[in-house]
Amino acid sequence: MKMMGEFIKGLWRENPTFRIVLGLCPTLAVSTSVSNGIGMGVAATFVLIGSNIFVSLVRNIVPEKVRIPCFIVIIATFVTIVDLFMKAYSPALSRSLGMFVPLIVVNCIVLGRAEAFSSKEPPLRSIMDALGMGIGFTWALILISAIRELLGNGSIAGIYISRSFEPPLFMILAPGALLTIGLLIGMINYFTTKRR
Amino acid sequence: MNQMFKFGMILGVICLLATLVLAATYQVTKPKIEAQMRLEEQAALKAILPAADSFKEKTLDGIEYFEAFKGGSLSGYCLKITASGYGGYIRLIAGITPDGVIKGVRILEHQETPGLGSQIDQVKPGEKDPWFLRQFVGKSARTVAVKKDIDAITGATISSEAVTGAIRTGADVFLLKVKR
Repeated sequence: MKMMGEFIKGLWRENPTFRIVLGLCPTLAVSTSVSNGIGMGVAATFVLIGSNIFVSLVRNIVPEKVRIPCFIVIIATFVTIVDLFMKAYSPALSRSLGMFVPLIVVNCIVLGRAEAFSSKEPPLRSIMDALGMGIGFTWALILISAIRELLGNGSIAGIYISRSFEPPLFMILAPGALLTIGLLIGMINYFTTKRR
Repeated sequence: MNQMFKFGMILGVICLLATLVLAATYQVTKPKIEAQMRLEEQAALKAILPAADSFKEKTLDGIEYFEAFKGGSLSGYCLKITASGYGGYIRLIAGITPDGVIKGVRILEHQETPGLGSQIDQVKPGEKDPWFLRQFVGKSARTVAVKKDIDAITGATISSEAVTGAIRTGADVFLLKVKR
């Protein structure tokens, strides 16, 4: 039951995007289309799981004073693996995510979970934590990118829904990202505080 | 001092393991990535000179290029050009006719700033090809210049100049050599 709790908390109660509000840079940048959102989410989830496992395994060996460099090396290794495999097997996705895959290294969700969770917890629970956080990040990205793609491009996941209006381009540019995320977080906060 | 040495050792061992893992991954993915790049190159050639029916890869004094044939006769060249952009190298293919008119340009790889320089190969929604590169079509390769022929991308003057300048010098050097 405790295991399940570690998994579920990332989905909603401690959702990295909407509740902890971490890792906004990639969220703002890649949420222009649903396929980008899914790609980024899956890549970040893989890195999270890998780094959480290894950080957790070495947590008793690594001295506190050099823990951050060690975590970064572990994270960077997994990011490079993802980057190479993406280039080899999904060049289109690799091209549209561009610089943001290498930048997962400095994604604060990944380092944040290493520091706050897996450096203190056993591997199995760290995996559950990584899965929850990763899926939480992914669904948040999918929601944001679906709204932006629909309003800014008139399509969802590349399928055109309606051509009856000229899509406002700014929704898939930076201002659209800030507006969407701001309004979503505002709405979530409004409804959760009202319920209490 | 002793503690410092110990910490260094631990960090060193972790780095060593990471290096080994990455070296293995690189070896596994390398042939696949190269194959993907060749596929992209072929797609770019088709997009630049859609009328050509065959391409032949050639090298001339270190310049890699393709000869394009239509119905057995030479219809143009596709030059592989590397430009120094704002964030690293920009690899591109430029298609020109034998007398130096640009038929099309495609970017193969770049590391320009997302949102600014990356617009060099950005395709606007509802369009088929990148708007910045479309400007090159029909211009003379040996004299093409920003402002005169090409509108630079707002906020990305260096990237725009890099692509334009590299095509100009690349085509100029190549055409002189190939005529000889």
